[in-house]
Amino acid sequence: MTEILLSLREVSMHFGGLKALDKVSFDLCDGEILGLIGPNGAGKTTCFNTVSGVYRPTSGEIRFGGIRTDGLPPHRMAALGIGRTFQIVRPFPNLSVLDNVIVAMGLPCYRGIIPSCGSWKRQKTRDGAMELLSKVGLDLQAPQKAGLLPLGNLRRLELARALALNPRLLLLDESFSGLRHEEVAMQEELVRKTRESGISILLIEHNMRVAMGLSDRLVVLDHGLKLAEGSPDEIRKNPEVIQAYLGKEGHSNVA
Amino acid sequence: MQLFLEQMLNGLAIGAIYALITLGLALVYGILRILHVAHAAIYTVGAYVGLAIFSSTHSLALSVTGSMLFCAILGVLIERFVYYPLLKFPPYVPLIGSIACLLAIEELCRMVAGPYILSFPAELPFPSFTIGGIVISSTLSAVYGISAGVLLLLWIITTKTELGLAMRATSQDMAIASSMGINSHWIISVTFMIGSAVAAIAGILVGIYYNQVYPTMGAVPAYKTLALIVVGGLGSVPGAVLASILLGIAETLLIGYAGIPLPRDALAFIAMIAVLLWRPQGLLGGRR
Amino acid sequence: MSDYTITIGTFIAIQAIVACGLNVIVGYAGQISLGHAAFFGIGAYASALLTTAGGFSFWGALPLVLFITGFIGLVLGLPSLRLKEDFLAITTIGINFIVVSVFLYVPFFGGALGIGGIPRVILFGTRLRGTPFLFLCLAFLAAVQLVSWLFTRSWSGLACFALREDEAAASSMGVSPVRFKLAAFILGTAMAGLGGALYAHFMRFISATDFGFPMSVMILSMVVLGGMGTLWGPVLGALVLGMLPEVFRPLTEYRMFLYAALLLLMIRFQPGGLLGESSLARQIFSRLKGGEKE
Repeated sequence: MTEILLSLREVSMHFGGLKALDKVSFDLCDGEILGLIGPNGAGKTTCFNTVSGVYRPTSGEIRFGGIRTDGLPPHRMAALGIGRTFQIVRPFPNLSVLDNVIVAMGLPCYRGIIPSCGSWKRQKTRDGAMELLSKVGLDLQAPQKAGLLPLGNLRRLELARALALNPRLLLLDESFSGLRHEEVAMQEELVRKTRESGISILLIEHNMRVAMGLSDRLVVLDHGLKLAEGSPDEIRKNPEVIQAYLGKEGHSNVA
Repeated sequence: MQLFLEQMLNGLAIGAIYALITLGLALVYGILRILHVAHAAIYTVGAYVGLAIFSSTHSLALSVTGSMLFCAILGVLIERFVYYPLLKFPPYVPLIGSIACLLAIEELCRMVAGPYILSFPAELPFPSFTIGGIVISSTLSAVYGISAGVLLLLWIITTKTELGLAMRATSQDMAIASSMGINSHWIISVTFMIGSAVAAIAGILVGIYYNQVYPTMGAVPAYKTLALIVVGGLGSVPGAVLASILLGIAETLLIGYAGIPLPRDALAFIAMIAVLLWRPQGLLGGRR
Repeated sequence: MSDYTITIGTFIAIQAIVACGLNVIVGYAGQISLGHAAFFGIGAYASALLTTAGGFSFWGALPLVLFITGFIGLVLGLPSLRLKEDFLAITTIGINFIVVSVFLYVPFFGGALGIGGIPRVILFGTRLRGTPFLFLCLAFLAAVQLVSWLFTRSWSGLACFALREDEAAASSMGVSPVRFKLAAFILGTAMAGLGGALYAHFMRFISATDFGFPMSVMILSMVVLGGMGTLWGPVLGALVLGMLPEVFRPLTEYRMFLYAALLLLMIRFQPGGLLGESSLARQIFSRLKGGEKE
């Protein structure tokens, strides 16, 4: 087996009395696409937010590339090599599509006082951003204001921004939801290509067909607990998973 | 001890007057999320209109009702002309509009009535008491009686009536309230009318209490009340009332009694920053 | 030019410098501030004290003044990390009131009498007054504009834009909200400090009431009216709002009223600012541009 890139050990996240995550552990190997699935309210997004630094877990340990990262703020996680997209898209609406990507390209410059005084209006930066935009098929929209783009384009813009960080791990939070059929296919293609270029991916997905089709392995969460882990085939046959998705009554009807 | 109690009673009266002004601001913030600085201008106009009617008719009842009516209309005009069209802009845009309104109305008062301090020689028809050697003058008892009455009436309106329910629904979510058949723009206007009418009462009370009416009498309350609605918890009317009364007492005791040479008008803001550090949602504000 | 015109021009140039500073905080970084006059005042008092009691020259004091205002800006910018929108707006008003009261009530700052006898600026052995001082202010304004322009082109500036647009998204791209918001506060307040220093040496007598909340409102109005987040907006705003009272001067009695009414009408019908998007000026400009292409 290849090297482990991200590992969660007994990670819990409590909000008041609510246990959004309860001692969840799993590993993500280098070069892998790991799907994180589960019914609504299972704790998928919370799990994402602990990995990307939005939340500090109540207890447990997160390691990324061997470094302990739980409790680090989001901008530090970005610097360590985690790029992410948002379930509800968050473009910079008044900046152009191109500038949206350039913001992410500044990652190496934001850490020091002297580099952060450098100019972002350089041809080289621009070319790099345009290259990423053409990769996701948004090169024609580059001068437009991001706030004016339709959802499908915004999902691809978020992907381009995340890729501009040169990440080792990409977190995709439902980046297929709300897309039309042909857009889903296009996005799937993009995700595959991204993995081929050597970037590992952790994705949350509601669309089962997409999740099963893309992921090498899946982790199933339910009510904050890890329910199962395995290949898409194993998950499909797992009775506990079927029960969680259909609900208790649904199960008794089937049985 | 007697001095202390007397100061306490004075502070309570000042606090009650602050409460009457702050109330309108808290109502408006609750419903529109706008910092309604021009509210203090309405309060100034209230004092002037009240004085004008009083000097020509010598009837306090006419003066108060006339002034309330005038201010209610003025409040709605400001809402319709300035705030409503600016709601979709970032909050500082209506705020600047509001400040411009305050300045314009202050200037208008000065142009019409002159820059002088006018006296408001009215006797309030309230009895004076003597309890344990402490005299509660008729002015003081009037301030207590009127503010308690207004607060009670407003409490009944906002909690016990259909109108109050519609107001609360609109302040929760304007779009949903509208979809449930509430004419939310009308409710907003009614809120402004109520707040402005109460400001008129406050203006007349202050005019009589200090026997002074002048164009810039709203300048200090304009900003102090902003601090008060934060201390009370933005949008919480009971919180704003509580904060006002506490501030009135604190100002009088600290500055008048203990003789601490602190600028009176900065105290509200110092209290505000202390409260924000300790309890960012305000005294009675819910978590948001 | 008459002395009077020069005086007005100097005021406008100084206020434009202060407005540019506020534009960095509000326009570029999206942090509302209604207490900017406090920093204008801190700059003025710092320079006044250093040059009178401290015995410094204007030029010797200036770096210290910028450092002091920038540092206080950093400290007072800290609330912006915790508070949002309206809470921040009211807190900055509070800061303004508290700073003014400190000037008024602490004897070190001259109390209600303020500070007088502030020396004139000496450049190449000549005391600057009148037109030369106006040119000095304009030179500083040009420098401030240059710094603003460079800032919008720097990674720090882009980081601030990103924070203004969406803080969560910006931080997921490696932008530290703390670092860049405070950077904007330091830069913006230092510019206000520069304006304050020039003001002190222009008036040669300052008192706390010059830097009260109404001044903050005036400066914010300049920025909003001119067009927030644009390079030339604050300068245009300072020019318009600085000239208006002079245009109305013959109407002494109605002057302030007309001023307030006009401000109200402008904010009501051009809330995006004179140079902002969808403003009249922009529309005409883009129409002209479109015409050229055809």
